[in-house]
Amino acid sequence: MDALDALIQPGRVHRSLYTDAEVFVAEMEKVFGGAWVYLAHESQLPEPNDFIATRLGLRPVILTRDADGGLHGLFNRCAHRASTVCQAECGSARRFQCSYHGWTYSNRGELVNVPFVEGYPATFDRADHGLALVPRLAVYRGLVFGTLNADAPTLAEWLGPAGPLIDEFVDRSPSRRLQVRNRQRMVYRGNWKLAWDNAGDGLHPTFAHRSFLVLNERQHGGARSLSQFKASPDDTGMYGLDLGNGHMFVDQRPGLQQSFWETQRPVPGREWYEARISERFGDDSADVLEMAPGSMVNLSIFPNLLIKGNTLETVDPVSVTETRLHTWVAAAEGAPDEVNVLRMRIAEDFPSLGNPDDLEIFERCQDGLAIGEVEWVDMSKGLDHEAEEVSADGVRRAPVTHEGPMRGYLRAWLELMSADAKLTTARPGEASFEKAA
Amino acid sequence: MAAPAASVLDDRLYQRLADLASADSPDRGPSHTDLRPAVEQALYHEARLLDERRYRAWLQRFTDDCVYWIPLDPAADPRTTVSYFLDDRRRMADRIGLLETGWAHAQEPPSRTVRTVSNVEAWPADGGDTLARCSTVVWEHRKDRLTPFASRNDYLLASLGDGWTVRHKIVRLVDCGGDVRKFSFVL
Repeated sequence: MDALDALIQPGRVHRSLYTDAEVFVAEMEKVFGGAWVYLAHESQLPEPNDFIATRLGLRPVILTRDADGGLHGLFNRCAHRASTVCQAECGSARRFQCSYHGWTYSNRGELVNVPFVEGYPATFDRADHGLALVPRLAVYRGLVFGTLNADAPTLAEWLGPAGPLIDEFVDRSPSRRLQVRNRQRMVYRGNWKLAWDNAGDGLHPTFAHRSFLVLNERQHGGARSLSQFKASPDDTGMYGLDLGNGHMFVDQRPGLQQSFWETQRPVPGREWYEARISERFGDDSADVLEMAPGSMVNLSIFPNLLIKGNTLETVDPVSVTETRLHTWVAAAEGAPDEVNVLRMRIAEDFPSLGNPDDLEIFERCQDGLAIGEVEWVDMSKGLDHEAEEVSADGVRRAPVTHEGPMRGYLRAWLELMSADAKLTTARPGEASFEKAA
Repeated sequence: MAAPAASVLDDRLYQRLADLASADSPDRGPSHTDLRPAVEQALYHEARLLDERRYRAWLQRFTDDCVYWIPLDPAADPRTTVSYFLDDRRRMADRIGLLETGWAHAQEPPSRTVRTVSNVEAWPADGGDTLARCSTVVWEHRKDRLTPFASRNDYLLASLGDGWTVRHKIVRLVDCGGDVRKFSFVL
């Protein structure tokens, strides 16, 4: 692995970030361990004793809620001989028993039973053999994050200006809470950062999503989904933000000429549900319908959460050249059922019609990156203008097609990769918890 | 191109789908062997239309109140959960229209497919419809990779014979909810 800071230069990044297995191993430790990593949403484990399986980088984690409602990030690894102790994706359990030798743990991670305990050394103390815990957990508006890094800032500090943008996303629900439902899982043969680059990329829709643009123009006309990227996206006022700490924001709203609902492609059931909402809510129906389409912003929380549409997409690296994306759909809590039915159909629309083209292109990029002698990936668009619009909190704003947000997340990447962070685990009862918002 | 018709998907239709999805219990018993030849004729013909990418001809075989559903969780109510997709006729036409733009990168080069339809069973359903079930494996070849998509499919056929038509098609992928590769052709 070459010196890291030589791999990221002004306006370009070295191919080895996408191809080098050593870089990947270091990322899984330092980025997906040193940063605050998104684990799950509180609504996925609403009741006492609920749990959900997740991952912190490559580390399997069971996020649990104990009988008193407290949250715990348990590493899914028996303290005895390392077998995972939970095989379910989610559920309710007060105990996790290892199937290998029967060691049994509480949902706080304490070792509560060791069968045939005779024969262990006199010094063997169950208190020393609990499950290892993610040492720091924190919640922001229902989003649960974890880090192994004792030196990491608080979650509130880490999110910084991204916090109020999360608020805006969550506050579209009448109860100001999200209710996360089920997910799609998809895989592509490419590095995880290809998805990350793309999430902050307002230049690609015009070309990568041309099929979607042409289809909508032909079939549905008018200013339907993504038409804001048809001609000159930067002339519409759409912009991108480098929020610091790797977080990115793409705002498509200035490009819309009509309401979200009018802009939304016609999804199955549109007419019937629109009529129902109109009947039930009369003059307020336009506001009610406006809750159904996506937020028209892309908010990316480094390193693994892409908030887009009405979905929380997590980037789950598998290997240096394989990535899994989980697209969790969020219902608007407190909204009429009709709105949330439409949300389900809308959450299938771009993902099934538009995303296959993204994934195809990620794989084409990975194929191109195989050429060792062609070393650099260009990310220079907007470089000369980067310092022009910087707010007091350090947020850099640029026209939507500029590549500033990508350069921004790579700065955060480099900082994490270069840091000599102290990564730890905690014993049961000793992890810290921060309620950031 | 003619303006697409309005969607007919409503709560009643959703309920019919939910009923169809839960039709596994109790067991329907052995299939009606006298229905099988006509059902096989329809399913084999459909398989050939799809493998030959005759998508417009395929779409014409669907009724106006059709639903084409690929669930992520076949036991879940599609009103409260997301699916791979749940299409009415309009969105089916969009899926085909997307391929016809010539700009669908995920189908450049296009997939070649061959599908095997087996374990065909059939029962009479309400209103003269026929419920058909089969096991299907679609083999997709694209860019030097061969990828199988195995599913159990449910059909509600509105008519049989040469003029066979489909009211509902449900594709229950055996690995639904798991790491399914994006499919950009029609399953």
